[in-house]
Order: sequence, then C-alpha cells, then structure tokens
Amino acid sequence: MDIVNTGKLTQVIGPVVDVEFADGNLPEIFSALLISNPGINDEEDNLVVEVALHMGDNVVRCIAMDVTEGLTRGLPVKNTGNQIMMPVGDATLGRVLNVVGRPVDGLGPINGKEFYPIHRPAPSLVDQDTTVNVLETGVKVIDLLVPFPRGGKMGMFGGAGVGKTVIMMEMIHNIAMQHGGISVFAGVGERTREGNDLYHEMKDSGVIDKAALIYGQMTEPPGARARVAISALTAAEYYRDEQGQDVLLFIDNIFRFTQAGSEVSALLGRMPSAVGYQPTLGTDLGELQERITSTTKGSITSVQCVYVPADDLTDPAPATTFAHLDGTVVLSRQIAELGIYPAVDPLDSTSRILDANYLGDEHYNTARQVQITLQKYKDLQDIIAILGMDELAEDDKLTVARARRIQRFLSQPFHVAETFTGTPGKYVKLEDTVRGFKEIVDGKHDNLPEQAFYMVGGIEEAQERARQLKGDDE
Amino acid sequence: MAALRDIQNKIAAVKKTRQITRAMNMVAAARLRQVQERTERFRPYAAKFSEVLGSLSEGIDQEAHPLLAQPEQVDRVALILITADRGLCGSFNMNLILQAQKFMTQQKSEGREVAFYAVGRRGIDFFKRRNVEFAQKLPGVMNVVDFDLATQVARLGLNAFLSGEVQEVYLLYSRFRSIVSQIPTVEKLLPISPEATGDEDESSQEYLTEPSAEEILVDLLPRYLNVRVYSGLLETSTSENAARMAAMDNATKNCKDLIQNLTLAFNKARQAAITTELMDIVGGAEALKAG
Repeated sequence: MDIVNTGKLTQVIGPVVDVEFADGNLPEIFSALLISNPGINDEEDNLVVEVALHMGDNVVRCIAMDVTEGLTRGLPVKNTGNQIMMPVGDATLGRVLNVVGRPVDGLGPINGKEFYPIHRPAPSLVDQDTTVNVLETGVKVIDLLVPFPRGGKMGMFGGAGVGKTVIMMEMIHNIAMQHGGISVFAGVGERTREGNDLYHEMKDSGVIDKAALIYGQMTEPPGARARVAISALTAAEYYRDEQGQDVLLFIDNIFRFTQAGSEVSALLGRMPSAVGYQPTLGTDLGELQERITSTTKGSITSVQCVYVPADDLTDPAPATTFAHLDGTVVLSRQIAELGIYPAVDPLDSTSRILDANYLGDEHYNTARQVQITLQKYKDLQDIIAILGMDELAEDDKLTVARARRIQRFLSQPFHVAETFTGTPGKYVKLEDTVRGFKEIVDGKHDNLPEQAFYMVGGIEEAQERARQLKGDDE
Repeated sequence: MAALRDIQNKIAAVKKTRQITRAMNMVAAARLRQVQERTERFRPYAAKFSEVLGSLSEGIDQEAHPLLAQPEQVDRVALILITADRGLCGSFNMNLILQAQKFMTQQKSEGREVAFYAVGRRGIDFFKRRNVEFAQKLPGVMNVVDFDLATQVARLGLNAFLSGEVQEVYLLYSRFRSIVSQIPTVEKLLPISPEATGDEDESSQEYLTEPSAEEILVDLLPRYLNVRVYSGLLETSTSENAARMAAMDNATKNCKDLIQNLTLAFNKARQAAITTELMDIVGGAEALKAG
C-alpha cells in the first residue's frame, strides 16, 4: 500500500483516536490510516483506523479496528489514501479473515490480486432483480410458513438463548453444504467458539473451499464489529458482480453491528437517540442492508440473525431491521419453554413470498389454515385457563386437538444439534412438509397421539411413531 | 405504550369473567342446597318403598307380572342417559357421556342393539353431532326436576319394554356422593329383579294384603319404576349443581391467578417504560451539557 502522507496521533479515547495532519493533507472520510501499536504485537502498521469525522484544526477523528491499548500520543500515523481494502476473489476462499482483510487462521498471507473498498454504493434501482424463486431449507416450519426467496433477505429474530445460531447453523448445513456455490459467513460480535466450530465443521464436510469466513467477534473492539459485516458483504459482492454467482451470505448477528455503532457513536460526539441508540441507526442499517440485494448479474441470498434485547421486538434495533427484510423468522421464548425446537413463532413470522402466486394454492392454503388453527387455539387459551377443556364446544375441542398436533409437528430434530438431542437430524422436502400439514388440518391424523408428532421429520414418521407408542402400551 | 394498554384490557376482561363465574358459583351453591334437601327428604321414602316392595314380591312367581319377567334372550336394550341441560360444570357431563359411550360399545360387542333415550341437552347435542340415533330425546327439562318428569321418563322405558321392543332397560345417571365426588352410575331398571328391591334378610316382613299381593304389584311396580327414575333425576341434578359449584369455584380461582400474573406483567412493563424514558431524558440532558 502506498503511503500518501503521515500525521501524528494526538488523542486516544478508547476505540476512538484523533490524528493531526499537516495543512492541506487531511485524509478523506473513510480513509484507512495505519499505526504501529506495540500493544498488539511487534509488527508494523498492525492497527488500522478509519477516518470518521473532520474535527477542524487539521484534526481527524478515527475509529480503531483493533485495540488501542499501547498507543501513545505523538506516534506517526500513515495515510493510505484509500478506504479499508478487502481482498476479494478466489484467494479468500477457505480462509478466515478479519475486518481489514487480514488472515486470522494462521495459514499465511492472502495472495489476492484484487481488492475492493468496503464502502460501496448500493446497486441502483434498474439493476435490481425482481424474479422470485422459493429456496427449500429442509426445515418444516420455515418452508411452510416463512418460505425463503432465492436472492432474498431473511432475518431470524430472537432473544437470548432461544436458538438463533442453531437455526443459522442448520441453514448452513442444509443450504450451503448442498448449494455448491459460494458462501460467505460474517461473524459479528458473537462467540468466538461458535466461529471456530463453524470453521471446523465446514472443513470436515469439505465445503470450506467454497466459503469465506469473516470474523469480528465479541473480543474485538466496537470499530471492528461495526465494520465486519460490511467487509464480509464486500467479499460477497465481488462474486455477485464480477463472477455473476449466486452467493449465500450468513450474518450472525446483525444486532451487534448496531450495538457496536452505538458504542462509538457517543465518542464521535453524537447525541444518543431513543433507548440510547445512535441517532444514525436508520442510516447505518440502511447503508448495509441496501447493498445486500440481488442484481441482474447475480444474487445474494442472505440469512441474518437479529438479537432482540429483552425479547422486545419493538426495540429500535430489531424494529429498524424488520423493514429491510423479505421475511422474518421470529423465535419466541414461550415456544422454547414448551420444549418445541426450532422455537419459531408461527403467528409472528412472515415472508413476503407467502403468497399463492409464488407458492401455488396448495402450499398457500395449507399455511394459512395452519395459522388460522393456531390462532384459534391461542384465542381459546384464556378460556381453557379459566374454565378448563371440558367447557369448550365440540368444534373448538377439535381445533385445539389439531392445533396441539400442529404445534408439535412444527418441531424438528436438527443435524447440527444431533450431539445434544441424540436424535439424528431430519431434512424434510417441501412437498412432504406441505402434505403433512395439510393432512393434519384436514383431520386425517386426529386419531394419532399428540406425542407422535413431536420431534419427527415427515408425517410418515409420525405415523410410525404412533405405532411404536401403541406397541409400548400393550 | 401499546403493550400496557393490551395488558390492561386483558385484566379488565378477566375481572369480568371472574364476576360471572363467582355469581354462577353462588347460584349453584344455593340450588345445590335446595335440591340436596329434596334428595335427602326423598331418600327414606325410596328406601321404604323398596323395602315394602321387596317383602311383597317375595315368593311371588316371576311370571306373575310382566315387569318381573326375566327375558330368555336379550338382543336389544334401552339406555336412558340423564345429563344436564347446561355446561359450565366441569367434566360432569363429559363423564356421563363417556360412560354412555362405554356402555354402548360394550353392549354392541355382546351383539345387542341399543335404543338410546337422552334426557338433558348436553348429552343430546353430543350424540347428535356423532350421528347416533335417538329413540327419544327430552331436551331442556332438567331445570325443574319433579315427579311428573320422572313419570314421563319412566313411561318411555316402560312402553319400550312392554311392547317387546327392548328386553332390558338401563338408567345412566350421576350418583351424588359428596360435593367433590359424583359417580356416573348405570342401573338396570327393567325387568325389576327381586334382589334389586332391597335387603331381604332383615327387613323382610310378611304382609297381609287385601287384595292379593299380585294385584297390588300391578299397581305398585310401575310406581316403583317412577320412584327409581325420580331418585336418579334428583341425584343427577344434585351432582350437576355440586359439579358446577366446584367448577365455578375453580374458575374463579384461576381468574384470580391470571389477574395476579397479568398485574405483575403490567407493573413490570410499566416500570420498564418509565426507566427507558428516564434514561432517554437523562442521556439527552447529559449530551446537551457536554456539548
């Protein structure tokens, strides 16, 4: 990297540093500056900072992409004259990178020829692709009620510990492993262990050669967490724009992006807005999300986890994210408490393509019928709580019986959770899913015990389980 | 705050429900007292009736009266099911209905047909939905249980029996054991079996009768049938009110729990909303001060 000019470090405030340049040499906003921080290691230029504000008096305020402990005032700062440049292309496949595109897997340097700046404009209106195809995920509740569009953006919303990451891993297992195309995984502010697990799992199954992993996990300072999603997206964009590929982009967890933004926001002198978030929350998210889209050249199908603070979906961070997505899978604590995993809330979750025009009448009607049945059950729950089941009318009793079967049938053993549940994972084809639920709402399986529907794959398995349960009784 | 409003509305709704269930509980308690008194007053009469009848019919030939005649072969029986007209009494009706279903399947498995008579709307509605054929149904009669009704019900069984349509008649009613325990009970009404007419060893007395015992029995036996049906109806009505009282008491308690939980949720949500707003205000003020 060519060094345009150098400045001098004047102030360090946690993850934010001020740098003074000579008159007329101020770097542009988003420029990457290099500092040698002895607090990280002995390498030169090991700390990258990104210019965020021009403060006046030839001082720029920057966000650090790594720790700032060890910095001293007066250290020389080099201006690269460029944004953070992300290595893109085949050189990144099979590798683990950090936010500034440096390898962290200990497999030596990346010999990339091409670099992309991480801040890029979103595709224009005319370039956007509007065709809709359903992407089968093999997870019953998602395929039925929240169908994923190929080239769409799906969000997985949930509070702490309801299983967002597990579903994400299952998606990676079911889609990315069979997909054959390129996958990009962005680990944003989540557990380092999970990132490591994913890397090894991909390595073991051989898909690592088709995947690029970009990590900025919990240990990283807010600057890195606020940019790593963008870095990963840049890598994905290359495959879409240059190679015309269908790329899968997994982001876990997009909320950490917002959170990191709010951590540095006040230090940049912005007044906090609702619930203490940055006033630029909408802009920050919009800039990221608008770039995740499918164009006429290629597509990016993205699956994002969204942490919901205190299970409150009206919190500004998840509420703002909602608006950008094609579909939302809402994970609910009430359902997790029932022991039903994946704990997808069948009434709160929606998809833009849950529409008869895209799915066909049978799928659409079945999905709606399932939702109606579950909604009725929910409405009746107060009556049951107060008066008991016996007071329900005959029709309502039947509704409740079916709803309870549907609720259990929405659970499914996962491949990635095999070691915890002891049950082998199940992949259920879309048509089997639709047929199974249709048969339940049509009342074909009213005679099977509820337990038979719990943690099985297709409807045939439920029937098989019912026979077993009956056999045990006798 | 939308969530707060929702919780408040729900609390109001549950409170109203509680008012209703509490009122129903009190009504059921009052009615239970009435009908229980009647049942208890009637019991000695029924007992004495059985006793006298038992003594009278002793030594009398089975063939002397058609109601005493034991059939040689049974291929059709009648079941008279007594349920309540109204719900909101827990599993009371369902227990009777399940017992009726059990009885019918059992009879069918023994190769007998069942002529089904239903008294009380709940039982009728249940079996109508399942397309069970009724020989006769009497909806909406359980409000006032009197001897006329008993006679009417008894006549149904009697006619079917005397015409030879059925060879046996059973009564399914709910026996009132205590406030918390009501037991669905099946009793054979017809033919009247001698052993069913009371303790013979102790209370058996020789009566001198004019006219003859046989002639008296002609009048007494149908009356005996009425007495048994009447006591079945009374027991069922007592059970119904007891069950309703318990169910409504339970419902009131459930409402109380629900209100408690909802109030807790409401207070928490309210507290959270206040804290959030406070933090926003303080944060804003701090930021202004700094700037």
